[in-house]
Amino acid sequence: MTQADFMIDREQFSKLFPFHFLVDANMRVLQTGAVLARICPQFCVGQELNDHFSLFDLSSDRAQRITPELISRRKTAPFVFKSASPDLSLRLQAMVLRDPERYLFLGSPWVRALKEMQLLQLVLNDFALHDSTVDLLQITQTNDITKKDLRASISNLEQRVDNRTAELSLANSELSRVMRSKDDFLSAMSHELRTPLNAVLGLSESLAEGVYGEMNAKQAQSINTIAESGRHLLSLINDLLDIAKIGAGKMELDLKKANVEDMCQASLRLVLEQAQKKNLKLTLAMDNKSVMLTADERRLKQILVNLLSNAVKFTPDGGSVTLETKCDVESESLVFSVRDTGIGIATEDLKRLFSPFTQLDSKLSRLYAGTGLGLTLVLKLVELHGGSVAVESEIGKGSCFTVRIPCKGLENAIRGGDKGAVTISESSPANILPSNTPLILVADDNEINLMTVTDYLHANQLRVIQARDGLEAVKMVRQHAPSLVLMDIQMPLMDGLDAIAHLRADDQYAKIPIIALTSRAMVGDRERCIAAGANDYLSKPVNMKQLVKTIHAHLPKDETR
Amino acid sequence: MYGMVNKSVQALVTTNFGIDKWEAIKKKAGVKEDVFLSNESYPDATTYGLIGAATEVLGLSADEILFAFGEFWVLHTAREEYGDMLSSAGRNLSEFLEYLPMFHIRVALIFPNLKPPRFECSDLQADRITMHYYSHRPGLSVFVRGLFSGVAKLYNTPAQITQTKFKDKGDDHDEFLVSWGDAAK
Repeated sequence: MTQADFMIDREQFSKLFPFHFLVDANMRVLQTGAVLARICPQFCVGQELNDHFSLFDLSSDRAQRITPELISRRKTAPFVFKSASPDLSLRLQAMVLRDPERYLFLGSPWVRALKEMQLLQLVLNDFALHDSTVDLLQITQTNDITKKDLRASISNLEQRVDNRTAELSLANSELSRVMRSKDDFLSAMSHELRTPLNAVLGLSESLAEGVYGEMNAKQAQSINTIAESGRHLLSLINDLLDIAKIGAGKMELDLKKANVEDMCQASLRLVLEQAQKKNLKLTLAMDNKSVMLTADERRLKQILVNLLSNAVKFTPDGGSVTLETKCDVESESLVFSVRDTGIGIATEDLKRLFSPFTQLDSKLSRLYAGTGLGLTLVLKLVELHGGSVAVESEIGKGSCFTVRIPCKGLENAIRGGDKGAVTISESSPANILPSNTPLILVADDNEINLMTVTDYLHANQLRVIQARDGLEAVKMVRQHAPSLVLMDIQMPLMDGLDAIAHLRADDQYAKIPIIALTSRAMVGDRERCIAAGANDYLSKPVNMKQLVKTIHAHLPKDETR
Repeated sequence: MYGMVNKSVQALVTTNFGIDKWEAIKKKAGVKEDVFLSNESYPDATTYGLIGAATEVLGLSADEILFAFGEFWVLHTAREEYGDMLSSAGRNLSEFLEYLPMFHIRVALIFPNLKPPRFECSDLQADRITMHYYSHRPGLSVFVRGLFSGVAKLYNTPAQITQTKFKDKGDDHDEFLVSWGDAAK
């Protein structure tokens, strides 16, 4: 390529470099680009560069006179020439031309916003296509618009969040109001329901005790069923009332120092009968038996009984339920764990376990009766104590509910106790009631009778073990050596008369007091029973007071109260 | 299309017909966005959907809406959002239209993923110019006519815009004669 290939005329050069100018060695203008001439008309051929422009020094903000020496010194650095009128800055590159010596300046206005272009009355087409000045300004403006859009978008989101928050807040207050109304309603209704129910229960009890005269077996059974249903209804109402009270913030704890072992034993006593019906092994394991806890004893027992009765309910026959207590000195809390070998709970169901009226499997609700409020109440009562509830479970293997109750000064409280020693006791009646309490074996194949008698004897401070046929009765006597036996006569496998005969045939049990119970009440029954070896005879329906009186009459002297 | 187009449709509707109509149009078009980002690319279907829904909700013809949208784009959206860029494009109607092809290409180069139409001009005279419009997007020639009308109003220059070639009638592109001054009378 020769030099001629690059020859372009002045007009073409001006199109390529519309803001260029050429000065001689004395800094006099020889030539200017078309657009520069338009926006700065006084800067024309023959004018002295320094009369119109000065060199702007970015580092000192100081204007300098433009000289050939200065141009030579700066070599490759860009020049910024400033003019006061018009207010124009040019960003330029200098080239030194020889023979004769001239200086060519190429560049364009130094503008940082499209607005500055407008002030100079410049339009896009005034810039050469190879000059990206305007493109950069447009990109800047585009970015500004993007920022503005993003701000608008953020503001829109904030507005939506604010609106939604306001809506939620309104909904929350409405919900709170509805909840309060619901709690008030429940509270009022529960009181209204309890009043007639008390009459039902009280009168059932009186009827059962024969206050209004003797009843036949069928009537007694019906009254027991009425009483049992009444008690269930009462527990449901009580739970509802408690939840409503807590929800309404009306439940106050009666905090007192309480003996933890006593609380545990009392709670176990209340589920013992249920457990025995299913042949469950009930165990109490305490790492410190002397620990005292400041809590509402009644409510804490309510928590434990709820958990224990659930454990018993959902553990199949022959399984085990353990109540453990541990002193966690580090977190200053007392930990109660109720562990069972029951049916377990699926992981996905654990979350809704503490919601009201949740029994996880509708099939289960048919198998296991319950209010569906127990765990909700447990959680609320534990939270009232400032504690927490956790649950671990595995389907088919069992569950463990852990209640943690804060206990300030726990370390001092357990000092001197059986710290570190785990005491395990199985809850046979001997462990629930004092060991010097008489132990009575009740043998009856009728569950309601069995339960009614057991309840009554418990209430009268008598320990009870149960058998459901004659064979089991004989086995239990040999196993537990009870103080006295209450023997029903009509039982499957082996009837009461045969069972009495078996026991009397054994020297070891020849003297054990046996009271025969029979619903036959036929002439000759009493004689047959006494002949078989019974010490006494009572016909069903038995008067409970009479029964206890008879029991005490036959108990060995050192075992009666 | 870039969000600026949808944003402009939104502004046109809310300014002239109210926010409720805009919400109804969005719902009909199945558009969920509350805010369009000007420099973000959106599917063409969104814009066509909004225009289509607008014809139903506002009870106007597509041509009426597209023409109004063209004018609105220049006189409101471009002037308010891109006023400085617009001002840099020319000092008068003639200059603007003459430089429009160059301006449009330079602006288009800023935006990645933009599939812009192409403008060309010919027969520039003191009072008229022929504008050529090439686009792969169908049905927007009325919008372009509205754009030219808006530009004429922007420069306070009464002008007449006549479409002389129609792509949807078999021509290879759309062509417009823009005349002003005596030529427009």
